[in-house]
Amino acid sequence: MAFAATLRGRGLAAGLVALAALLALLCVASIAVGSRSIDFATVVSTLTGEGGGTDTETAVINDIRVPRTLLGLLVGAALGLAGTLLQGVTRNPLADPGIMGLSAGASAFVVLGVALLDIRQLTAYVWLAFAGTAAAAVLVYAIASMGRDGPTPVKLALAGAAVAAGMWSLTTGVVMSDLDALNEMRFWQVGSLAGRNFPVLEQVAPFILVGVALALACGRSLNALALGDESARALGQRVTLTRVGILAAVTILCGAATAACGPIVFLGLLVPHMARAICGPDYRWILPYSVVLAPIVLLAADVIGRFVMSPGELEVGVVLGVVGAPFFVALVRYRDLAEL
Amino acid sequence: MRPNRISLPVLAIAALAALALVACGSEAGGVSEADGDAAWSFTDGSGKTVELDARPQRIIAHATAAASLLSFGIRPVGIYADTPIEDDPGLERFDLEGIEILGETWGEIDVAKAAELQPDLIVADYWPPEDAYSGFEEGVKEKSKKLAELAPVVGAAQGESVVKLIETYERLAESLGADTDSPEIAAEKERFEKAVENFEKVTAEKRGITALAVSPTPDLLYVAVPEHAPELLDFTRWGLEVIVPDDPDQKLPYWENLSWENADKYQPDLLLIDDRNYPDNLRDAEKQPTWESIRAAKEGAIVPWPGYWLHTYADLAEQLERMAKEIEKLDPSLGDE
Repeated sequence: MAFAATLRGRGLAAGLVALAALLALLCVASIAVGSRSIDFATVVSTLTGEGGGTDTETAVINDIRVPRTLLGLLVGAALGLAGTLLQGVTRNPLADPGIMGLSAGASAFVVLGVALLDIRQLTAYVWLAFAGTAAAAVLVYAIASMGRDGPTPVKLALAGAAVAAGMWSLTTGVVMSDLDALNEMRFWQVGSLAGRNFPVLEQVAPFILVGVALALACGRSLNALALGDESARALGQRVTLTRVGILAAVTILCGAATAACGPIVFLGLLVPHMARAICGPDYRWILPYSVVLAPIVLLAADVIGRFVMSPGELEVGVVLGVVGAPFFVALVRYRDLAEL
Repeated sequence: MRPNRISLPVLAIAALAALALVACGSEAGGVSEADGDAAWSFTDGSGKTVELDARPQRIIAHATAAASLLSFGIRPVGIYADTPIEDDPGLERFDLEGIEILGETWGEIDVAKAAELQPDLIVADYWPPEDAYSGFEEGVKEKSKKLAELAPVVGAAQGESVVKLIETYERLAESLGADTDSPEIAAEKERFEKAVENFEKVTAEKRGITALAVSPTPDLLYVAVPEHAPELLDFTRWGLEVIVPDDPDQKLPYWENLSWENADKYQPDLLLIDDRNYPDNLRDAEKQPTWESIRAAKEGAIVPWPGYWLHTYADLAEQLERMAKEIEKLDPSLGDE
């Protein structure tokens, strides 16, 4: 038994390394290709600092594509982990920062801040997004907790859908009736990696890194929670405290990601299922796999979006929606939803 | 499909016209009823002709059309707008006291309130690429579109020229009983004609300069297609050549969408920047690493452009005067390259 587990561990570790290599390749692709065609030699010489491209090409590579790729890595990891943590803590395979209304909450608060308080600094956006995510999380949990049976997975999903719808109409209402908010906030309705660049990256990177570290430390607790609250308690987990800690990590991850890129849905739903399909139910593996898988999906979707509408671009949020919706249907159709 | 829509309201209008007459009769100092018998007919910017048994008295207008009508002395009873009225540069100069506001959000019109006003005509700009009047475009709530059931819709086309658009509204105002030969209107026209003359002089001095009309956002740089922006066609006519982008968006042909990576696709001497969210949009643009890959941006040759809202001689004159001043100030070597 122990021997088999070790073997399995080695296989999973090797898989993780292979995926990391794939991710590295995608990063290269994300820097090398875009809606403007720049030949590969120029890309390489620009990255190594030898120059060789025109000023515009240098700006495109160093100041647009590099930060965009780094942002894709961070935001992808953040949303993948947020989804995994949410599915684990709610024991609900449909949990996702988008579906649970957390991204919508973050968007709504940022838009309200812009429209009502005339806030324009990126620093403030991050905190507004945290507040919105936390507010949505508390609201969803409170609604789902009503009734004698407490927050069951189904009630959590329903409460999430309701809160998401409420937050969306709030955002739309404000955006449609306030010209400033409309112009400033066009991307608060569809997430995108475009046009964010280094200032945005610098602003959210510390938060996401803290969130990722927190999340990766949650593996054992999630494994215990997966057995049900009673068993988790028997294993010595302080269930409520653990839940609050995990939700705090979700808030940081989802809030920071949304503040940077607007609401990106489906990634948090898709990635944990991919990870679970590869490594089974052990969260100590699912979490690191989510960290690598999510940016792979996000960057791939972003690269696709740069081609389909050239010379314009399609927002990554839209591409993911197109890819994610059929996946969601397939998931509901073919998998036993009670298995978590 | 749209031209046929008129047949139903025409039937309904007989009843409404009767109501309007009753309403007029009960009002103190009611409008002269002598014209009541005269059939009223108007051919609008879409080419559609509307015929009514009586000259319309109670008009509901979309915000931009309302500005034009007000400038010719026709007061609508209700206005619906796409954005908050107080932010509307076209309505700034008018006193709207007593005019019912029926909506300040795009696609949302309070039709119940509109019905209470018993309108006999609805006036709104006609958008040829969409074959729709403002307030009845694709995406507007079906509930709001029922406004068209209250009265026939007419409007000037957002077509080849703002001057032509204003002239259409002038003709409409005249048919509605306005005195468009008043000294105030004559003065506005004169100021406008002088402004055009001056604009032509200024652009002639900077011979051959080209302009690109843009609306920057954090995601994309939108480049305006002059064919669907009448004021841009006018600018070209008056000596400021506005570049025609070669790959407009298929769904919304008003713009070509450029990713910021491709911001330098066109190299005009001068950038016209959408004034509807200026200077916020310029600030957004300046954050983009490739904004200055457009030489005009690097050199600061940027002039706000009144995007799609010019509807009166007064506004047109004022904006032309401002733009001429700003163009005059630009580097004299501009356009030499």
